[in-house]
Amino acid sequence: MLNKILRARVSELADKVNGQVEESLGVLELTINYPYVLEVLTRVKNFADVPCDFLHDLAGMDLEDHFEVVYQLSSLRGPQRLRIIATIERENPVIDSATPLWKGADFLEREAFDMFGIQFRGHPNLKRIYMWDDFEGHPMRKDYVIESHEQRAVMRIRKEGE
Amino acid sequence: MDVKREKELRDAEAAAEKNILLTSVEKFLNWGRVHSFWPCSFGLACCAIEMASSGDPRYDLSRFGYEVFQASPRQADLMIVAGTLTRKMAPIARRIYDQMPEPKWVIAMGNCACSGGPFADSYAVVPGADSIVPIDVYIPGCPPRPESLIFGMLHLKQKIQNPAKARLIKHVK
Repeated sequence: MLNKILRARVSELADKVNGQVEESLGVLELTINYPYVLEVLTRVKNFADVPCDFLHDLAGMDLEDHFEVVYQLSSLRGPQRLRIIATIERENPVIDSATPLWKGADFLEREAFDMFGIQFRGHPNLKRIYMWDDFEGHPMRKDYVIESHEQRAVMRIRKEGE
Repeated sequence: MDVKREKELRDAEAAAEKNILLTSVEKFLNWGRVHSFWPCSFGLACCAIEMASSGDPRYDLSRFGYEVFQASPRQADLMIVAGTLTRKMAPIARRIYDQMPEPKWVIAMGNCACSGGPFADSYAVVPGADSIVPIDVYIPGCPPRPESLIFGMLHLKQKIQNPAKARLIKHVK
């Protein structure tokens, strides 16, 4: 029942923003293009009856020809779950930040930036979170070439305040 | 036990009854050191859990006198690198080693500290802590059981008591 309401709301939204709705592993998936992301997330958060207002996880993905940012949404007030996939160009990976909607997106977006080099527009503090500041490249990209055994065995110089 | 060694021990026993014990200063100091390692607990990953449980009453590391896990490197003489050493952590590991007073020893606990383990090909991991600090005893395992850590520390004890010998036990034929 609830799933039907959510499905109706999502397909209504998908028509508005040229998105595709699929179902994968029992969760509705809405694939959209990156300029619509903030609009879609705002609307999804304020759905009547079935608000998806809890950001479980945010992850970057590399699909060789383009990047994706995946938002896993659910709610503390119901069983509804929704997955939103925003596709980004590989040459210019820029997307609007979700931090105005969820403060918790801060660290998750920093991780996606660290690992994939996705720029989040409007993020308050976009810098590396796992790797050190002068690390070169983004290690989870498919075209990242790992440094040799010998290079990794050399101790780097630590910066103060790191 | 050979006859010569037995005679030595008997002489020592006889001397001990007269409250006389002959030894060299270095031997005497080492005797004290090996019965009271103060490990600097440098736990980095899951090996640290095994390191902690080797100190508890079930495995009872303190029966050898090694129980004083120090939070400060300045009061420690043994660093147990327990876990995956990442490249971000490597300068800090070196700094902690440098802060320890002489004489000092290092144990590499677990596959990650020995050689990088399953993460040897990772972009973020130092493949073996021996490129950062000199290691005295390697303990393989993922993670090694508390018995292994105790065995490793007893090996270190033998190593310190017999500094002339590089390898005490031949593990392979």
